[in-house]
Amino acid sequence: MRARKNALAAALPATALLSVLFILPILFVAVSGFKQDGTKFYVKFFSDPYYRDILITTVLTALRVTFFALLLGYPTAYFIARSTSKYKNVFLIMTVFPFLVSAIVRAYGWQVLLGDTGVLNQILLGIGLVKKPVKILYTMTGVTIGLVHLLIPYMILSIAGVIQNIPRNLEAAAESLGANRLTVWRKVILPLSLPGVITGCILVFSVSMTAFVTPRLLGGARIKLMSTMIYQEVNAAFNWPMAAAISFILLGTILFFLLAANLATANAMNRLGGGKRA
Amino acid sequence: MPEKQDGIGFKIIALAVYAFMAAPIVIVVLASFSPTSFLAFPPKGLSLKWYYNIFDDNGFVSGFFNSMFLASVATAIDVMIAIPAAIAVTKYHFPGKTALTNFFTSPMFLPTVTFGFVLLQAFSAVRGVPTFYRLLAGHLIIILPYIFRNVVSVMIGFNWTLEEAAQSLGARPLQTFRRVTLPLIKPGIMAGGLLAFLYSLDDATVSAFISDHRFVTLPIRMMTYMEFSFDPTLAAISTVLIALSLGAIVLMERFVGLNIFLK
Repeated sequence: MRARKNALAAALPATALLSVLFILPILFVAVSGFKQDGTKFYVKFFSDPYYRDILITTVLTALRVTFFALLLGYPTAYFIARSTSKYKNVFLIMTVFPFLVSAIVRAYGWQVLLGDTGVLNQILLGIGLVKKPVKILYTMTGVTIGLVHLLIPYMILSIAGVIQNIPRNLEAAAESLGANRLTVWRKVILPLSLPGVITGCILVFSVSMTAFVTPRLLGGARIKLMSTMIYQEVNAAFNWPMAAAISFILLGTILFFLLAANLATANAMNRLGGGKRA
Repeated sequence: MPEKQDGIGFKIIALAVYAFMAAPIVIVVLASFSPTSFLAFPPKGLSLKWYYNIFDDNGFVSGFFNSMFLASVATAIDVMIAIPAAIAVTKYHFPGKTALTNFFTSPMFLPTVTFGFVLLQAFSAVRGVPTFYRLLAGHLIIILPYIFRNVVSVMIGFNWTLEEAAQSLGARPLQTFRRVTLPLIKPGIMAGGLLAFLYSLDDATVSAFISDHRFVTLPIRMMTYMEFSFDPTLAAISTVLIALSLGAIVLMERFVGLNIFLK
């Protein structure tokens, strides 16, 4: 019983902090919103194509970012996890470092690189590959590049952590039984690294759904996503009830995808654990 | 032989990815030394004038100190809150432990924009809270999970009987914590604290909703500056921040080891 009292006492400060500054404000905003306007703004959101399209664009953007982060991140993760080079630590630092650099600084770097008078366009114009500057900044491409850059360390680290724990001699064993590299990868490495892939995808997807700084700085006013929309409704349209509705719809969408991913994962893990297909 | 081949394929992709990851950071550092107001390629010489520009009266210096102060206070308070919270869920066994752990990490799952807006609305109902304390409230919440999770991850492997051993040798509880427990969980506190500090220093999402002219943080100042100008003063201040991150990663590699990121 004393142990239990100690545990409660230790948990108290964090519980108090989160209750007062986190749970209470959320409940207050959700409840007062419903009391004042009912579901009016939620109905408007889903019936107005202007808002509905923003939700669809946001989900598609997050999926696109996740896809590219996985495509580029998986080989990199494998490389770093299996590296025996003395430079392994250098690569590890290069993976973690961007993660510690401010998102604003990184977005600014992309502005300098991708702008109309940016470094990339200077090079392309200089060697005569294009006649007028390629428009990347303030387009969806620019936002995608920025978000993949922002989030790819999550993907690499999630996958590398798992691959690092797969014993190397599993690969050797499969090869000695006659499997070629592709088969080894498909039947041994891929299934065993799947948990890392799933964690990485979920992380990248949910963070890119809500990223605010990167789309704001690289998308400009024309690219409308849920996160930038909330800010715009507050600061430009002064429509707070709509901003509240968008905020909670964004939260709901993410929870929905998390739940779906969880169910799908449990399913996949069951099958892999069943041993018949793995 | 076949092993070599697939090694090379992956290596090429990996090196390209590293070039991609480094590109915007390297370009910012180069731009900060550019004598022209946009980065000419190839560069036309070297200049420090954008660094002098930081000290002109443009809000960068005060923003920097505001952000450092806010991040330090928020991290210090949260470290003191997160350590007992982590002890509660690792040392003791009780029903609802998992739920409590999830509760302590829950701010990670609420979109930061949603939380920023929620706080804005809450503080417009509870009037009169000074800007600094509003920002502090927001930052305390968003960085707590980072410290909590890192401390938990070292505590999970912690041998709690060491505490009993110390106490049976006559150490008082506080003494036991300071002399036995704390040194052993220090890597988790360092890692979590550094990550949380950098996150708070960089936050422009929650802050965008609740900061105002009375307390402007550096990221907010940079964002508003970027709306009107791209000039390399931003590159100079960014390079200072990059140097700070570099310092953080050196500290981390020294005292914690970067393998915590591979867990």
